[in-house]
Amino acid sequence: MAVHTPPQTDQFVELQANSKALLEGISPSYFSELREAAIREYTEFGLPTVRDEEFKYLPLHVLREGKYRFGFGAHFERSQLSTLTLADTDAFSFVFVNGQFAPEASSFENLPDGLEVSTFEDADPAVLTQHLSKIASLKGRLGSTNDERFVALNTAFLGEGLVIQVSKNKTIERPIHILNVVSSDDAEFVAPRLLITVGENAEATVIESFETSTGRAFTCPVTEIRLEKSARLEHIKFQNESLDSVHIANIAVHQEEQSVFTSTNVNFGGHSARNDINVWLNGEYTETWLNGANVATGTQVIDNHTRLDHAMPNCQSFEVYKTILKDQSEGVFNGKIFVYEDAQKTDAKQTNQAILLSPTATMNTKPQLEIFADDVKCTHGATIGQLREDAMFYLRARGIEKSKAEALLVYAFAAEVIEKIGPHDVRASLEAALFTKLA
Amino acid sequence: MLKITNLHARVEEKEILKGINLIINPGEVHAIMGPNGSGKSTLASILAGRSDYEVTEGSVEFLGKELLELDPEERAAEGLFLAFQYPVEIPGVTNTYFLRSAVNSIRKYHGQDDISAKDFLALVKEKANMMELDATMLSRSVNESFSGGEKKRNEIFQMAVLDPKMCVLDETDSGLDIDALKIVANGVNALRGPDRSHLVITHYQRLLDYIVPDFVHVLIEGRIVKSGGKELALELEEKGYDFIKEELLAGA
Repeated sequence: MAVHTPPQTDQFVELQANSKALLEGISPSYFSELREAAIREYTEFGLPTVRDEEFKYLPLHVLREGKYRFGFGAHFERSQLSTLTLADTDAFSFVFVNGQFAPEASSFENLPDGLEVSTFEDADPAVLTQHLSKIASLKGRLGSTNDERFVALNTAFLGEGLVIQVSKNKTIERPIHILNVVSSDDAEFVAPRLLITVGENAEATVIESFETSTGRAFTCPVTEIRLEKSARLEHIKFQNESLDSVHIANIAVHQEEQSVFTSTNVNFGGHSARNDINVWLNGEYTETWLNGANVATGTQVIDNHTRLDHAMPNCQSFEVYKTILKDQSEGVFNGKIFVYEDAQKTDAKQTNQAILLSPTATMNTKPQLEIFADDVKCTHGATIGQLREDAMFYLRARGIEKSKAEALLVYAFAAEVIEKIGPHDVRASLEAALFTKLA
Repeated sequence: MLKITNLHARVEEKEILKGINLIINPGEVHAIMGPNGSGKSTLASILAGRSDYEVTEGSVEFLGKELLELDPEERAAEGLFLAFQYPVEIPGVTNTYFLRSAVNSIRKYHGQDDISAKDFLALVKEKANMMELDATMLSRSVNESFSGGEKKRNEIFQMAVLDPKMCVLDETDSGLDIDALKIVANGVNALRGPDRSHLVITHYQRLLDYIVPDFVHVLIEGRIVKSGGKELALELEEKGYDFIKEELLAGA
């Protein structure tokens, strides 16, 4: 590991020291050990700069220059939910305001048999110790630039959080929705944490939305997901924080054999928004779908890093990431696929496409395939470009004027990803939000 | 309705149309037949306004306007409709949204207000029934994962909804089985009337058993070399295009 010089002052290290008493008061006692180990790991690296390979396009000076407070204790009315895009979703909903559980704003009556949702405080300690920071860890894995400093930063503030457990053979029809709301007068630091375990042959849909009610934040969520044999999970993440927020999310997934994981990752918000989605394929015949739809305007930067570790044979992964960039915005896509020596018959398809609607918008795209097995099918394609000529002519030949046809095709470019989302109301709300974002 | 005069066109350096002359009056159905590469689809594309072709000579008058000076959307709004040989898939745009945008754009062109949701729904339902299209198709993306037959039926369905004056059908029969062909032909026949004209472009006579033309023209190597009534199509079916080529050689 390279030697890093820690920055002279890092407000998040200081914030963590000042928040210890608060965190100890709300969480199981054995969390303090995890927090201490994590802050040590984070301090070794500190905030990244453009010289750090994994973060070179993500502007984070606001984290150095701005002043953040730890966001607990906000006053929040249930009525404030109504301004949020996904507030009306038909789901068991769990609202967190600035990282703090708000049961009075949530609605989760009559949870079905086989679905257990608990806060860290009430959860089975054995489940937590077994999985927390274990799923979100790249230790011992391939890759020379593995960088998990923001997982460490989140763990350094481990306190409130949620565990969703779906029991073996259970299908939970109604989605589970975690609403992460920022409500502040100032700048908050928020570190949401979620653990999802889906038992053997069980099935569920989980929506995580991140939206700002008022103010701004540095949101640094970590989601850990484990799918047992033949489990199926649809995971939808929608990030629409205010345009002066920073959002750096890590989603780590562990898949056992024959499990199916579908991720749809939609980003419209944040000044600097980043997602790392890392999937470890631990059994044969798994299926993984990673879909992304991103729209950036103004000076927004939206940065997605995905990583698939094909560690076992006969697994399939399909990835489609799309980005629309307006004004002076920037998009980043880095798609890593590691195919391990034993992972014969791997079938991995990666596509990433961007549309630049202004000459001053920029897309940085980097497919990164490292293949150590010889009998595999891996394809990747990256296009940065204009709208499809044939579709433009088709629309215009039906009477639709050029500017409207263009707008329609830009919308369709991202809507193609959103329309694959399972829950109908989520799809409709996100399509409406896309329309508004592009207007 | 439509008057094509001495139309020459090329793609890059290759001349494809070498002087087309054709007059279509209101209510008439004309068929253009010709072997592959004769310029049939080029003619359809030029009429609709595809920019891949360069018109080097000649003119096209449509309802008193110089068609070639109009943008594709203006041609559509003036009442020209091209049923595509290869309808385009547009994932992410539903058929309903697409059609409503088209209807409203054309209304806007004529200074009319948007169609009401109720009227639009009624219109679309009626025409979908006529084309035996499943109503669920309306909420699906434009042509996405449609079969060949569904795509062609969708073209004629759009034509029925948009109610054009001049319909150009570019090899609408290609890739259709006999049942789909009948549905498509019935749709077209239902739209025939004294104020609407059709230009049916086809390689085979088969479609013309169902859409019976008033006139048949044979296009070979960028020129209309022979015109006649519907019996010409039957003659072509029987003897093939070679007999015309031979006639031409004999006459030369």
